[in-house]
Amino acid sequence: MAAVFRSSANLVATLTLLGFAGVLICLIGWWWFWPRADYARHVNWIVDQPVPFSHQHHVAGLGIDCRFCHVAVEVSSNAGMPPTYTCMTCHSQIWTNARILSPVRRSLADDKPIVWNRINDLPDYVYFNHGIHIAKGVGCSTCHGEVDRMSLSYKARRLTMRFCLGCHRDPGPNLRPKDQIYNTEWRRTDDTASPENLMAEYHVGGRNLTDCSICHR
Amino acid sequence: MSSVSRQWRSLDELANDQAFVARASMEFPMLAEALASPPDRRRAIKLMTAAFAAGLSDCDVGAPGEQLIPAVRTPPNIVPGLSNFYSTANVLDGYAAGVVIEHRMGRPIKVEGNPLHPASLGATDVFAQAQLLDFYDPERAWAISMQGYPSTRESLESALALQRIKISDNRGKGFRILTGAFTSPTLSAQLGALLKSYPEARWTQWQPISRDNVSKGAALAYGAPVEVTLKLDQADVIVAIDSDLLSSAPGHLRYARDFASRRNPARTQKMSRIYAIEPTPTLTGAIADHRFVAGPRELHQIVVALAAGVLHDTSLSAAPDWMDDVIADLAANHRRALIHVGPEQPPETHALAHAINEALGARGQVLDLIAPLVQVASAQPQPLGELVDEMRAGKVSALVILDSNPAYAAPRTLGFVEALKRVEFSLTLSPTPNETSNETTWAVPMTHAWESWSDARAYDGVATILQPQALPLYDGVDIHTMLALFAESKPTSSLEIVQATWKSGMARDFARTWREALAQGVISNTASPKADARLRDDATRLAPPEPPNHPLTILFRPDPYVWDGRYANNPWLQELPRPLTKLTWDNPLLISPALAKQSNFQNMNIVRVSAGDEQLEAPVWIMPGQAPDCIVALLGFGRRRVGAIGNGAGFDFYPLKGSANMASLKKMAGRAELACTEHHNLIFSEANEAVRRGTLADFLENPGFLAASKTESALYHWKPEGPAAWAMSIDLNACIGCNACVVACQAENNIPVVGKQQVIHEREMHWLRIDRYYAGTPEAPESYFQPVPCMHCEQAPCEVVCPVGATVHDSEGLNVMVYNRCIGTRFCSNNCPYKVRRFNYFAFAKEEQRPPEARNPDVSVRARGVMEKCTFCIQRIAQARITADRENKPVGDVVTACQAACPTQAITFGDMANPDREVARRKQSPLDYALLGDQNTRPRVTYEALIRNPNPSIRGNAG
Repeated sequence: MAAVFRSSANLVATLTLLGFAGVLICLIGWWWFWPRADYARHVNWIVDQPVPFSHQHHVAGLGIDCRFCHVAVEVSSNAGMPPTYTCMTCHSQIWTNARILSPVRRSLADDKPIVWNRINDLPDYVYFNHGIHIAKGVGCSTCHGEVDRMSLSYKARRLTMRFCLGCHRDPGPNLRPKDQIYNTEWRRTDDTASPENLMAEYHVGGRNLTDCSICHR
Repeated sequence: MSSVSRQWRSLDELANDQAFVARASMEFPMLAEALASPPDRRRAIKLMTAAFAAGLSDCDVGAPGEQLIPAVRTPPNIVPGLSNFYSTANVLDGYAAGVVIEHRMGRPIKVEGNPLHPASLGATDVFAQAQLLDFYDPERAWAISMQGYPSTRESLESALALQRIKISDNRGKGFRILTGAFTSPTLSAQLGALLKSYPEARWTQWQPISRDNVSKGAALAYGAPVEVTLKLDQADVIVAIDSDLLSSAPGHLRYARDFASRRNPARTQKMSRIYAIEPTPTLTGAIADHRFVAGPRELHQIVVALAAGVLHDTSLSAAPDWMDDVIADLAANHRRALIHVGPEQPPETHALAHAINEALGARGQVLDLIAPLVQVASAQPQPLGELVDEMRAGKVSALVILDSNPAYAAPRTLGFVEALKRVEFSLTLSPTPNETSNETTWAVPMTHAWESWSDARAYDGVATILQPQALPLYDGVDIHTMLALFAESKPTSSLEIVQATWKSGMARDFARTWREALAQGVISNTASPKADARLRDDATRLAPPEPPNHPLTILFRPDPYVWDGRYANNPWLQELPRPLTKLTWDNPLLISPALAKQSNFQNMNIVRVSAGDEQLEAPVWIMPGQAPDCIVALLGFGRRRVGAIGNGAGFDFYPLKGSANMASLKKMAGRAELACTEHHNLIFSEANEAVRRGTLADFLENPGFLAASKTESALYHWKPEGPAAWAMSIDLNACIGCNACVVACQAENNIPVVGKQQVIHEREMHWLRIDRYYAGTPEAPESYFQPVPCMHCEQAPCEVVCPVGATVHDSEGLNVMVYNRCIGTRFCSNNCPYKVRRFNYFAFAKEEQRPPEARNPDVSVRARGVMEKCTFCIQRIAQARITADRENKPVGDVVTACQAACPTQAITFGDMANPDREVARRKQSPLDYALLGDQNTRPRVTYEALIRNPNPSIRGNAG
């Protein structure tokens, strides 16, 4: 009696099994890798905006403080976005006819807000509070990167729960002196107070910062 | 499962009905019923596929796409992420209770009481809390209509111009105004001026839930209109006759606070004693030390005997045997005793009560007489009956109905709707479309109280400016502008009309005084002066009319939450379990257990009730503690035209009103399905009863007599080590079961309503419930209230059974729920002995009426398939932590939503590790005990046991 399968069937069977295994490994790998990929988190993506606002020009070039526009950052959970009026403080005097600023002028004329596209967006069940992080010595650039070098704004960190927990488990290394909080170029140097000293100075450590209830409600 | 405890919640439980016990012992009885039907393979596979697909579609990597929209110009004082607070007042039937409204980015999101307002002292009632939904109600009236067709403001104004010409020509002949009750000084000034300039115009003040008997009684006793304010914190003995003292009387929030301050023997010097005599249970009766059930005729005899005993020192043979002891108790507490009579009793009874209070020396000591809050100059209101007669006779050419709904609530025998057809020009100003606006030629949407300026007085006369909280959401007209449109063509704004009233009263530095009044929510020095009226000599000899000898009398009461029907479209109030019946979404006729036994009625049986010429069919509900010779019809339901929530919910008993009060019942075929929560979330306990209770005498002998036996040491006991230990203490002596905490919690924590059918399926979502227990016989039971939130057990049974760690403890002792981990096994709920966990069987939050902008932005909105429960208002704790940490100070007071709303301060919350905190002090009370302490769960919520103060010389019926 002739064999039911030809000898090449062995190869097919082996390849099929290996194929399945390969697909499975790829799937698991994808499942593990994808959420951790910068691409999936839109890190370094430049988002189109109605006005091509340059942080580089305004912050590094002109030396405008973060708080000039993001006024609520020290007191509120939200940092606050500048109203059209804030833009027009200067732009009613300079670059009054620039074409790229026409949406700003139109916003003021029509009393219609400028609609900016979000760059950093945490899930709705995360209750991040800007005010307390500023008060405890976490600088803007820790989460937002070197904004002063962004000619167009983009997300600089993944802002995943792992990212938050990394700091909440060990806040010390990410704290900086009070006068450097808004300095996006700041780097820890040998002269900087030690993480332990900064923790003590800011009274960080009395709370278990990894409790679920710290960030979720 | 253990046996049902001696305290019982429903009559089935008392009868130890086997089917009931078996059903109640199950965690998910509806699930068992669903599984009893044979499973369908295809359906099961369909559901699993759908669930899998839904699961995959939720795998979101957080792609951006949201937008940030800053203002063009930031309004002053508005910071994104921070709250603003603006004072105003909530007005019910004219009486104001101050509130403070919390705004986020200009949107009202929560109502809190105003601590500076005398009728609130920081507390709110359910109505004030539920105003939020009324404000955002998508079914509010939004357009002017004329004879059912959309119209414009311009056409309305020209029609009014025509009317103005007419009535100024004929001095207001045939011009009639109908209003509800009000205390607004501005409105009364406007009305007075209008009636002065049109001398032949008349004004009618009418409301379905009337307090006329109260004012008529005062007039009978003193010959002048006076109002009474009570000082319950001074009263040692209170006799409440069919009283609404703690539920709906003007100033009831303040009264509840004052009353409760004398009820916990561990904190008060001398505990007060309260007797309640009533035909059907009220909140006052439920917490009374002695509650005597008396039908209408018995009640009459009791009043007569009480008056004879106190005023004439004679003892009537017809009096019940406890009467002498009550009178002796009153006499022994001269100047510290008072009696209070509810608005259902006839004026003569009220007048007698005034006479008795004078004889008891109460005036000036435990109660004050004050001048009436509002009087419209030179105008006596015309009774509604007279108005309708004139309408029928064609003598009324123009009728203006301001925020009143006679087509629904006026007695049918009056024939209001038919008479209205003979009125040439009629106009309704109402916040929602209603039965009356359907019938008048013009229907004008009224702005919500949060959208225009007005003013109102509290029970003691203190005035508050009602300031708008937002620009009108819909195009409406406010009541002051409407009235002004009948006087002039271009009236000034409601702001200027209200300011004009107060210009003279705030003569010095008006701008500053006005701003202060707005900031504080009260206008200083506006309390009504004490009245110097003298009791008329014949007041002591008044005889209340004897109620006719009916075998069955029908009593009409407002529904505690829908009230006269005006809140029928408010889903929070519809779904709030009524304090005693625990019914939601419905109003069956309440019958006594004796009548049920005699006629073989069971809960939800349909009966035909006849009164006079009217009859209708409705289900019955057995009300323990109701007098056998009366049935109670709750008004306010069965609305025909109000909105999708209220239309057709319940039964309209108004048609029965106005005819003879004699009723008869006939059992019909069939059964209605009613949504009652009294048998939901039962707690089983062998070792002790849920509500520990005792008498004052026992307490004085040994204060610790109810204290819990020492908790057993556990093999493994993890102690949270955080800087604070959050805990709650609930004083059962203070809880009056009003449910304000439940709605406050619902508003604060974005808790959805689920609808009648889902309540029947035991799927209501309230995080906090108030259990009502009975003890004793169904004919005259004692009743107890017990609020039950999540206990935040240190040894939480829910945590150990969760397969995904979705419910865990944090270091400050909070039992936290991580919604995003929850996969919906419901093991935690099954293992919770207190039954405080709630499961989202459907996407309730997605489907409910509350718009997203009305929600609390600090609280997650829970999705389908997720377990949830009380969080101890974790968002408020987080806010307090952040505020404290920013300034490197210890965390200050955290007030939970339920605690803030509670009129009696029954709920205390805080850090129990800090001995300076009130909660730590209350936990040291000798009355402190843990619910189901024998289970060794170490709950962070504990109760103070209930102590009652019965009169030792009265046997039986003692609390």
